[in-house]
Amino acid sequence: MAQVTFIAHDGAVITIDCAAGQSLMEGARAGGIDGIEAVCGGNAYCGTCRCYVDAAWRGVTGAVTEIELPMIETAGDGTPGVRLSCQIAVTDKLDGLIVRLPDSQM
Amino acid sequence: MTANTVPDSAQCPVHRPGRDDRKSAGVAAAHFAPTPGSTLVDGFHAARDILRSPKVRQAGASTEHVDKSRPDEISFFFLDGDLHRKRRAAVAGLFAPKTIVTRHRAVMDRTMDAIVARLRASGSHALDELSWQMAVDVAAEIVGLTDSNSNDGLARRVKAVLETSVNAPTKGLGKWIALARTLKRIGTFWNKDMVPAIAARKLAPRDDVISHMVQAGFSKKGMIMETLSYAGAGMMTTREFIVMVAWHLFDNDGLRQRFLAGDEADQFAILEEILRLEPVASFNWRRAAEPIDEASTGPVAAGELLTISIRHANTDEAITGPCPFELDPDRAKRMKVNGPYLSFGDGPHRCPGAQVALHETRVFIDRLFRLPGIRLVSPPEIQWNPGIHGYELRGAIVACDPA
Ligand code: HEM
Ligand code: FES
Repeated sequence: MAQVTFIAHDGAVITIDCAAGQSLMEGARAGGIDGIEAVCGGNAYCGTCRCYVDAAWRGVTGAVTEIELPMIETAGDGTPGVRLSCQIAVTDKLDGLIVRLPDSQM
Repeated sequence: MTANTVPDSAQCPVHRPGRDDRKSAGVAAAHFAPTPGSTLVDGFHAARDILRSPKVRQAGASTEHVDKSRPDEISFFFLDGDLHRKRRAAVAGLFAPKTIVTRHRAVMDRTMDAIVARLRASGSHALDELSWQMAVDVAAEIVGLTDSNSNDGLARRVKAVLETSVNAPTKGLGKWIALARTLKRIGTFWNKDMVPAIAARKLAPRDDVISHMVQAGFSKKGMIMETLSYAGAGMMTTREFIVMVAWHLFDNDGLRQRFLAGDEADQFAILEEILRLEPVASFNWRRAAEPIDEASTGPVAAGELLTISIRHANTDEAITGPCPFELDPDRAKRMKVNGPYLSFGDGPHRCPGAQVALHETRVFIDRLFRLPGIRLVSPPEIQWNPGIHGYELRGAIVACDPA
């Protein structure tokens, strides 16, 4: 279990519990985080689950992986810390994680 | 993962006797034919875990008879692993939601203008011809088949190739006659549609599949195979889905009113719920390359062939909640599940065109149902295509007030 804080683009803050073994996207959807759309259901093929990992946590979540790049590039999103949340596996080590959300997932 | 038959009537604990809103369930049950010798996977979690597993290989269509020693001559549908991922990644941008909104949406609107004009001019028309026009024009833009003498000609030639190859006899003299006919039709398609598209892109590359294949140095055979797999996977499926959605909305006043009053998100929820109940493709197939033993799947031996029943997985009460056969557009949100369930597959081979298909269907249906006097003159006849284990809806006629 990891407590994760999502900060929406307008500054609204929501903290939820995400079960280990899920992806961060799945945890966010289950926790009612609307800013994560995830229309491809977690297959790294839509780019609508983007989030920005807080600078302090990037070493723990790891860098963006090759499989995420096509959709991040298509979205034209060069924001530091950008990741597809469907490709971040929740583990206990992510307890306290902070991520920000884009204004729009388009 | 037990063999299982579709019940005649749903036993819904809330609405007894259970309501079954599916239109294709009867024909699908009558033709239910998992591959002999394969293990049927019918639970949602098992199906999804199999499709996502790195331990399985694509075994659908004729994959296991395809020569994989020349990967540049076959569609990426037949590949797995790193090579498959790279081939998909190279064209990923063409299918992204942003590209759909900023680029493909204009093609959908333009095509729909032409469809509406055609329907209003004649007063009535075969619905599957209209949906075919939408499916062909949109896929043609993505693939790059935009230099043919006419889009109608392109649509006719693609249909001719796909019909002979998908419905071809598999034995005896009929097989060879069909093969010869298919080759002739492919030759015509190559000359009239692909050659001009390739020539135009050699001069000025664009952002589409053919430009990508030209740049990557695909052979003639490779280009034909890739293009036809988009045509088969994208055009034939979307044609059926659009007609199925229209049929549901013609038959269900409340649903139609909700669709017309709804915002895009609600319209998508309705489309996805129809697709959950009426998956165009009934099966995916995978072969285990290594033993698998997940909680959801139980033990699967290396080499085992798995027939994944999308229809059963989509109506698994563990993930649908009560009344799995009832059309309930609020279900996916309530259950926190991706709306189409497994109708676009899942995992590395999940349909890249999923969002494209949903968008073009939304545009088509929204415009169709706002036409003055729109009505269904005759409902479709539901047929079964054993080649793709999917339904085909033919003979529906729609009419509207003439222009
Ligand atoms: C309602 C419409 C559609 C349905 C129901 C559908 C369904 C599917 C399914 C179930 C698969 C997975 C096959 C497997 O895993 O073995 C698939 C793959 C595929 N689809 Fe679609 N599809 C639709 C529309 C489209 C469109 C519009 C396009 C392109 C313009 C498209 C292109 C493809 C391609 C290229 C694949 C192969 C992907 C791969 O193997 O990696 N599809 N589709
Ligand atoms: S859910 Fe589609 S890319 Fe993550």
